Amino acid sequence: MKRPLSVIVVFALVLGQSSPALAYLKFGVSVRGQQVTLKWSQTPVRYFVSNTGVPGVSATDFQSAMGRAFATWQAVPTASISYQFAGVTSANPSRDDGASVLGFQNRPELDRVLASTSFLVDSATGALVESDIFFNSAFAWSVAAAGEPNRFDLESIALHEIGHFSGLGHSALGETELQSGGGRRVLSAEAVMFPIAFASGSIASRTLKADDIAGISDLYPDGDFNTSAGSVSGRVTRDGQPIFGAHVVAFNVATGLLVGGFALNAQGQFSIGGLSPGLHVLRVEPIDDAEVESFFDSSRTVDIDFRVTFLDRVVVVPKGGDSGEVALKVVRK
Amino acid sequence: MTGIERRVCLLAGVAMLQASAAFAQSADPPRPRFELGIGALWIGRQPLGTKAATETTGAGGSTALFNTSSDLASAAGIDGRIGVRVTRSVVAEAEASYLKPQLRITISGDVEGAAAVTATETVQQVTIGGGVLWYLTNRAWTRRFAPFVMAGGGYLRQLHDQATLVETGRFYQFGGGATYLLASSRHFHTKGIGARVDVRALIRSKGVAFDGGAKTSPAVGVSAFVRF
Repeated sequence: MKRPLSVIVVFALVLGQSSPALAYLKFGVSVRGQQVTLKWSQTPVRYFVSNTGVPGVSATDFQSAMGRAFATWQAVPTASISYQFAGVTSANPSRDDGASVLGFQNRPELDRVLASTSFLVDSATGALVESDIFFNSAFAWSVAAAGEPNRFDLESIALHEIGHFSGLGHSALGETELQSGGGRRVLSAEAVMFPIAFASGSIASRTLKADDIAGISDLYPDGDFNTSAGSVSGRVTRDGQPIFGAHVVAFNVATGLLVGGFALNAQGQFSIGGLSPGLHVLRVEPIDDAEVESFFDSSRTVDIDFRVTFLDRVVVVPKGGDSGEVALKVVRK
Repeated sequence: MTGIERRVCLLAGVAMLQASAAFAQSADPPRPRFELGIGALWIGRQPLGTKAATETTGAGGSTALFNTSSDLASAAGIDGRIGVRVTRSVVAEAEASYLKPQLRITISGDVEGAAAVTATETVQQVTIGGGVLWYLTNRAWTRRFAPFVMAGGGYLRQLHDQATLVETGRFYQFGGGATYLLASSRHFHTKGIGARVDVRALIRSKGVAFDGGAKTSPAVGVSAFVRF
């Protein structure tokens, strides 16, 4: 779910909770007490697009924008996922019919929701059967190459939702500021999967970032991804006690790439995969640039009472291996 | 001063005591062909550049999340070489060195006000290379004091964190120095022992140079040698 402004969102709770696996956030579903990562088992993943346009975006424009966004994800060289346009449909994106449909829906009551992705999952096996994306036609949309003022860029928002469609949760790689009238304004982001959209008119989110690429490659590794990339893992603690939900960012000093992950269990352990081998700086921060519910099940208590902290040693990420246990110690604000 | 440096200085000191006696005995100094040297090498700080962790803004620009500035701290280690006299004033050398400099990354300017930190890591650095010395005096290998200029280069290998990551590159060096022949004799199959001091400009390319560019730092070598 992508929002133009902040709002309490429970998109990750619709089906499950964050999966305590490598890096980023991946959707997970519980099947007979076992956590199963939500992902497509077969590719190419077929999708339909709705035959309905909105002012400024014809049905053909819509289909083209969706095609470009799918192609961007499919072009990630280290990921194996692929998509296939299955045709135009008059079906509603919210219908559970086994077909994945992308289209507009007029949802004025969701006044801060630009778009949303839903899933149909086989509760017996955890297999992903269908995923639909609706774009809220209560907002003004654009497919102009350079964007248009006061209109949200359809391709950018589609890129974010197709990340969800593929199984990715939200990234916390972004900075926001609270607005006087409520909500948050995005100052910067380094992941298409950041939960809050840039202001209307922006086309900055048409390009995947290192964090997005690491996430999709982790879900659908291609070729030698698992042997050529490395990972960093460790634990976040405060006064010796583990911190759940801490956001850890790995910065490659040579490439300048940022990839984030979270401490995802009761021991405060984190693991960030898909890193380019080399020297990394680690930064840990509380989730304070978006609603916690954008990332985690509301039943989980996420600790945000600690200061942003850097690890005081350089972390070496080897090719095809892990850095070894890293201890990130933080203090209260 | 490290244990290695202590041993090198001790060796030079002992040789110094023997020097006058040896020279007094040798009216016609031998003409050595080979030289074996071992000593200490100090390499000065090597800046590795700056890099900002940036995020994209809505307008498509970038803004810094935090900044980093990196360098390889100065370090001392061991240096060994074998030289072959090619002409009266030119010597070809093969050289190897081993040091453990500290890599330092200073992190500052965090957008959320995190305290500045210097993250560190010890790097094992090995160089293997060769070069040429040109003595500025005639029959330099039999003179007590002989200044020289030098140039060379070779292979650079840097190992991080117990060799889990290896980076390779090249090094080039040029500089000058002098040898001081402490003793010239035929005892123990040697034809002379002495000490050498040199100052170099050391240029390292690739390796831990994050931008891949060449970085220059000063280096000083102090060694003892034996000539055969």
